[in-house]
Amino acid sequence: MNMGVTIAGLTVTYGDLPAVKDVSLRLEDGTITGLVGESGSGKSTLALSLLGHGNIASGSVFIDGVGDMSKMDKGALRAVRGAKIGYVFQAAQNSLNPLLTVGKQLLDLAKSHGVRDVRGAHPLLRRMGLDPDRVLNSYQHELSGGMRQRVGIMFALVLNAHVLVLDEPTTALDMITQANILQIVREVHADRGLTTLIVTHDVGVVAEVASRVAVMYGGRIVECGSTKEVLANPRHPYTRGLINAIPRLTGPVDVAKPLPGTPPTLGTIPAVGCVFRARCPIRMDVCSAQEPEMIDDVACHAVGVTAK
Amino acid sequence: MIEGRGITKAFKQVQALRGVDFVIPRGGAVSFIGESGCGKTTLGRILAGLESHDEGRLLRDGEPIKDFRPIQLIHQDPYSALNPTRTIAQILRDPLRLRGHPFSKAEELLSLVGLDPSYVLSRYPHQLSGGMRQRVVIARALTVDPEVLVADEAVSMIDVSLRLGILALLRNLRETLGVSVLFITHDVATARYVGAEGELYVIYRGTVVERGPVDTVLAGPVHPYTQCLLSAIPVLHGLEVPGPDRLVPDEPLDERVEPSGCLFEPRCPFATPACAQEQPLLSRLGDTPQDHACLFPARRHVVAVPAR
Repeated sequence: MNMGVTIAGLTVTYGDLPAVKDVSLRLEDGTITGLVGESGSGKSTLALSLLGHGNIASGSVFIDGVGDMSKMDKGALRAVRGAKIGYVFQAAQNSLNPLLTVGKQLLDLAKSHGVRDVRGAHPLLRRMGLDPDRVLNSYQHELSGGMRQRVGIMFALVLNAHVLVLDEPTTALDMITQANILQIVREVHADRGLTTLIVTHDVGVVAEVASRVAVMYGGRIVECGSTKEVLANPRHPYTRGLINAIPRLTGPVDVAKPLPGTPPTLGTIPAVGCVFRARCPIRMDVCSAQEPEMIDDVACHAVGVTAK
Repeated sequence: MIEGRGITKAFKQVQALRGVDFVIPRGGAVSFIGESGCGKTTLGRILAGLESHDEGRLLRDGEPIKDFRPIQLIHQDPYSALNPTRTIAQILRDPLRLRGHPFSKAEELLSLVGLDPSYVLSRYPHQLSGGMRQRVVIARALTVDPEVLVADEAVSMIDVSLRLGILALLRNLRETLGVSVLFITHDVATARYVGAEGELYVIYRGTVVERGPVDTVLAGPVHPYTQCLLSAIPVLHGLEVPGPDRLVPDEPLDERVEPSGCLFEPRCPFATPACAQEQPLLSRLGDTPQDHACLFPARRHVVAVPAR
């Protein structure tokens, strides 16, 4: 019962300003896709559109077997959110109710979806290396950051959702806990045959878990493809700059180079032309006049010129 | 030269630091790495004079430290480290006056940290990007002629494409001003960028378990904890291949357990009965090029290596 997701020509606005503009992306059945971008790139807004959240000005978010999230009314959205699409929110470790035990919150979730049996939480928690009885009887302050993150994943999947969205799932965690959570994401994804989207600013996280990657900048997807291919041969100058800016553990230290300039905010994204041109080392005249089209998974005027 | 000898600190029953020795040479770089809760931040705060310690001594050129002005802290969060109601000029004016510097020095320092004084001085913190704010925080620390900058996760809240710029700045300050940098992080690659030749201290439950030049420790860590920590760093598949001896701890950290022998013994994949008996001290047992606290040191290759 796999479900893929097709996002087509999606524009999501805050007021008049598009945080996501004309984005098309396909999440194939049973794959993990990484969505990488800096703050303000629109990655969380795009992820929320999978829940039908946000002011969708145009385009569609079609989930196989569920329908177009952008056209659903409130009641229909309420029924599918959580039940078909599991969402682990940014800072999930801080988004639990401090006044209720995890078990009580689980019962609330079940009640709001008219589900009576939530015993599925037990094997799920056990699968993630937790003691279900202890966790369900705990308040959030009694759990560590990594445990709370796993509780977030349990809430997302306990109603048997088949599309899983994780927004910055490891950001506040240290390395060993991060590696552990990523391992869990890989295992749960494979066990349940999910379609997973993982949103992050960390190229390393994508490299560890995702088979495909989409790179966002200024509300656009500028490049996508297989993770290994994009990391080994990035074609968009932003992707290349981002990967070059990662400090390495071996080899000459100065291989890593800072990317000049600053990422745009919602108010400073240029309305015409390429959104990356202000920071681009290979910009041309056409870049300020025309927005590049997505051709062969890259949106850059110069890609034919610079591809090696 | 700043030195700490046998620093201990307990928060109620929790032993945060169990006798840590460290040396920060003039103009040098020293990094503390470890999991969250290992005591690295507490050590930085003690050094900056923001936290008391129970036992041990803090020395500056051999004399006990009374005035903590030469040790300045760069906070993790540049969004809350600056007063939102004051312009950058106002933020820099008071500490400059305190040290008897003319206000013109503000322009000099802002240029030094890579900001345009004419743009920045009249602005409020909210009008600047995260990267610019962190540069202002660094400029403010420099107003009081510090000898050591304590940078506690100083780039973890900065956009990925801007991080390297801040790290490069810290490295340059070492060269141009002779300021030493104590870099506290869980991201070893950033520590290496600030000073590959500097000393790396791997801290576990309030003790130093391995200490040596960054590149020596990365190339051949001998303590299983260091090996687990380095194994957890995401591998950039496509660009890198995982190290052949990658290691995962047997158990998650349980701070309630207080082992009588080696503190890492309950989680160690190589633990022997002897490890549960004896608490190893920092030494060069087994003729290793770096100091370590393990009864059975063995070099393992855990760090990812470049593909091809």
